[in-house]
Amino acid sequence: MAKITIDGKPMEVPDGTNVLEAALSNNVPLEHFCYQRYLPVAGNCRTCMVEIEGPKGPMLTVGCNTKVAEGMVIHTLSPKAKAAQKTALEFLLLDHPLDCPVCDKAGECKLQNQYMEYGLYDFRRGVPRYFKGGKAEDIGEHIMLDQERCVLCSRCIRFVDEVPKTSELGIVNRGHESTITIFPGKRLDNAYSGNVTDICPVGALTLKEFRFKQRVWFLKKTESVCPGCARGCNITVEQNKGHIYRFMPRDNSQLNKTWICDEGRFSFNHWQENRVSEVRLGHATHPLQEGIAELAKLLEGISPDEVAGIASPAAALEDNYLFKKLFEKRFKVKNLAAPFWGKKGEEDKILKLADKTPNTQGLKLLGIDTEGKDLLEQIEKGQFKVVIVMHNNPFGQDEERAKKVYGKVKALVVLSVHKTKMAEQGSMLFPLRPFTEKNGTFVNATSRLQRFRQAVEPENPDVVEASLWVCRLAKALKLEGFEFQDTPSIFNAMAKEVEQLKGLTFNSIPGTGKVLDLPPMAEEPFQGIRCQPNVLGTAKSEKV
Amino acid sequence: MADFQPQLTKRFGIKNSHTLNVYLETGGYSSLKNLFAKKPAEVIEEVKASGLKGRGGAGFPAGMKWSFVPQNTGKPIYLVVNADEGEPGTFTDRFMMLYDPHLLIEGIICASYAINCHTAYVYVRGEFLEQINRLNAAIEEAKKANYLGKNIQGSGFDLEIYVHRGAGAYICGEETGLIESLEGKKGQPRIKPPFPAVVGAFGCPTIVNNVKTLSSVPWIIEHGAAAYTAIGTKESAGTHVFGLSGHVHQTGYWEMPFGLPMMEFIENYGKGVKGGKLKAVIPGGSSCPILTAQECQDLTLTYESMRDHKTMFGTGCAIIMNEHTDMAMVLKNLTHFYADESCGQCTPCREGTAWEDRLLKKIVTREATAKDLDLMLEIANNMEGKTICVFSSALAMPVRSFIQKFREDFEKYLVKNTVVVPEKITAN
Repeated sequence: MAKITIDGKPMEVPDGTNVLEAALSNNVPLEHFCYQRYLPVAGNCRTCMVEIEGPKGPMLTVGCNTKVAEGMVIHTLSPKAKAAQKTALEFLLLDHPLDCPVCDKAGECKLQNQYMEYGLYDFRRGVPRYFKGGKAEDIGEHIMLDQERCVLCSRCIRFVDEVPKTSELGIVNRGHESTITIFPGKRLDNAYSGNVTDICPVGALTLKEFRFKQRVWFLKKTESVCPGCARGCNITVEQNKGHIYRFMPRDNSQLNKTWICDEGRFSFNHWQENRVSEVRLGHATHPLQEGIAELAKLLEGISPDEVAGIASPAAALEDNYLFKKLFEKRFKVKNLAAPFWGKKGEEDKILKLADKTPNTQGLKLLGIDTEGKDLLEQIEKGQFKVVIVMHNNPFGQDEERAKKVYGKVKALVVLSVHKTKMAEQGSMLFPLRPFTEKNGTFVNATSRLQRFRQAVEPENPDVVEASLWVCRLAKALKLEGFEFQDTPSIFNAMAKEVEQLKGLTFNSIPGTGKVLDLPPMAEEPFQGIRCQPNVLGTAKSEKV
Repeated sequence: MADFQPQLTKRFGIKNSHTLNVYLETGGYSSLKNLFAKKPAEVIEEVKASGLKGRGGAGFPAGMKWSFVPQNTGKPIYLVVNADEGEPGTFTDRFMMLYDPHLLIEGIICASYAINCHTAYVYVRGEFLEQINRLNAAIEEAKKANYLGKNIQGSGFDLEIYVHRGAGAYICGEETGLIESLEGKKGQPRIKPPFPAVVGAFGCPTIVNNVKTLSSVPWIIEHGAAAYTAIGTKESAGTHVFGLSGHVHQTGYWEMPFGLPMMEFIENYGKGVKGGKLKAVIPGGSSCPILTAQECQDLTLTYESMRDHKTMFGTGCAIIMNEHTDMAMVLKNLTHFYADESCGQCTPCREGTAWEDRLLKKIVTREATAKDLDLMLEIANNMEGKTICVFSSALAMPVRSFIQKFREDFEKYLVKNTVVVPEKITAN
């Protein structure tokens, strides 16, 4: 640790931290464009200018490329530092188009925010604007490039060089004619391309999926976790009036940094489309209350041995916990399993994992069988009268086999988010809430327990989350121990029972997650990728 | 100056001075005996004691620079010769390479031995085709005669020299921009720290020296630091090749010890100012602040005198201007050059150089007011010392000195603050 002083305030920061990071992590605002905490320092925007006291008096320098030293005295507010910051901003805005009213970045644009805060207000260019040209160029499957808005911070270039290592972008020409462009014959469609739009400090790189869709100040942001694979990247779900407009990566220095893959990023529509929205018994729709009563009646008429349950690695920890508890108390827990149904995905050394479900480790934590071979064979042999499938499709893509199997079952109860083939086959179908519409927790591949919060409330109150559905069914079956009203209380009850969760409550899970005592099933992310050393933990309020 | 022995240009004018035979006949490679008798650290100390300063422009002590090279990294150490002579008004390195390439090679051997380097690169400006050919031929000759290659002259010291041809960007004369270009990247200066002496070419410790700096080293090794400090002044030891261009009767370059008064230089060597009285002097290449005739009266050709006059020694090649010179047009030429050559990396330089250029064009087309002139000064202040390299300062300093010292030359272009009635209306 090094003792330093910033603007008269003494503070301690780890050795090797740069001055900019030291300032930001101690709530000293210092503007910056080119610095991104997980990318190599470029030092080209010259806005994070500070004065550092030295033997020859205060020296003006950039904060991002200066490592702290014991006893360093730093001024961010001295007249010289302030002037340097202001004039750098003036230079940046000199020929920047003032098309903020039609720019998607407005509201979260670094140039806009910082110029409002630090800028010079009297316009004095004195010469006609220099037009750079290059408007709305289609450079990739998801990305549009507006060269005239670019401030040449080179963040996007450093990102494609360092993280996906695909190097599609570069700067051509010299001086003020410099422009960011894509190499001839190349397209920016690597698996992580969307990240360049997040780190672009201005509106030069925008997402086709978000362009002209929504002003950012209308968006409500909810902390969440991407369920696209077992990595569990931290995201924010951004919605307005119940419609989700985008998923954005959320800074977690211990996991996904500020990056997510395109597959996860663009899955936001998947969770809003093709949804099961009503309870269906046979061919008729019913209120939830009737559906539950009907199911309870059916279950009361048969032996507990004749009910099989399929839990899910895609469902939250709480859903699986209560589902298992239902089988423990009313049926036979050996007749419960959670096999993975889908195809394995692509895996890379960056973030993506082959396991396309978010909670396989959670099932292991709860002691639920993730293979379920015996159970599926028994179902196939017709040993069960009722099969309850929660957010799963145990026979996967093999439709012929599924049809044959489910023909032997008296009742196939399906709890589903989407109108899938599985949902069509169900004799009783209950709608489920996806992760965007509920609170919950997942345990990722590296055994990190992570919390996600509800972003959207479904229109139909009959769409409930699986755990509360279990509570309602338990009530209809007159079982005790299922008197829960919300997910946090289910988690808190579970934490008392599960050894690794002891001492945790839903609200005390850190924003960056908590690593559980559970053998990991995958390597840490970013194998062989340079990330900024000595990052001081995750930023609280600062945007990426 | 009669008793002075030329060190750098003594073979100039001799027929075939660029060949090894002539070089050896005239005492070439004679420093090597002394060199290999010393330990590398002793060579560095000798050069430190000589007070030899870098001749590229910044004037950093050469021996000091060499002593920054860490010897324990386990990585190779490189020497890179900066032969990317591109400073406007400067034209001496090209003749050094043309007429005496072996002297440069000898200097490279001395410096390489001192810093324990076995691979040296000469980064030559792309336009110097003839020089590149002569350098390559000289390297071949030197290799055959075992002045380069393995076990040089039985000393056990190995050295290879490679000539790299640049592509003609001014910024590649900045040492880190040069290293980037040498590595095959876009020539953009690197952010420091780390400095090239620690992390330079290909991530290894690297020393970048100018052609004349290295060409001065063999004489120091042969005759000793004391003999070198006896020449010139206390702070500016040794000799230098000074150049003169612009409004003088005789332009050219001359080797002489430091310390000659500027006015004597103009009168005796340049044969006086052509076309009128002296108005201004840019003392050491276009990026040095300009001096008025008045300021030149007590100016001497030394690092310290230039510093006292709030300008820089630079490359030692002065540009002379007579009383009829329009300073606004001179500066317009310069701003255009710098706006065009800015690498575009740092915001203040990328935007500032072009802004200055656009404002000055507005002034000379008689569309500007006094406000624009003051704005130019303020932009210069905002650019200076705020970027990765000194390029933005290299424009800021001339802009400020030109406008402050010759404001009337700019003011005559300004629109008067009275209301100008368009001709059409008065005709009606």
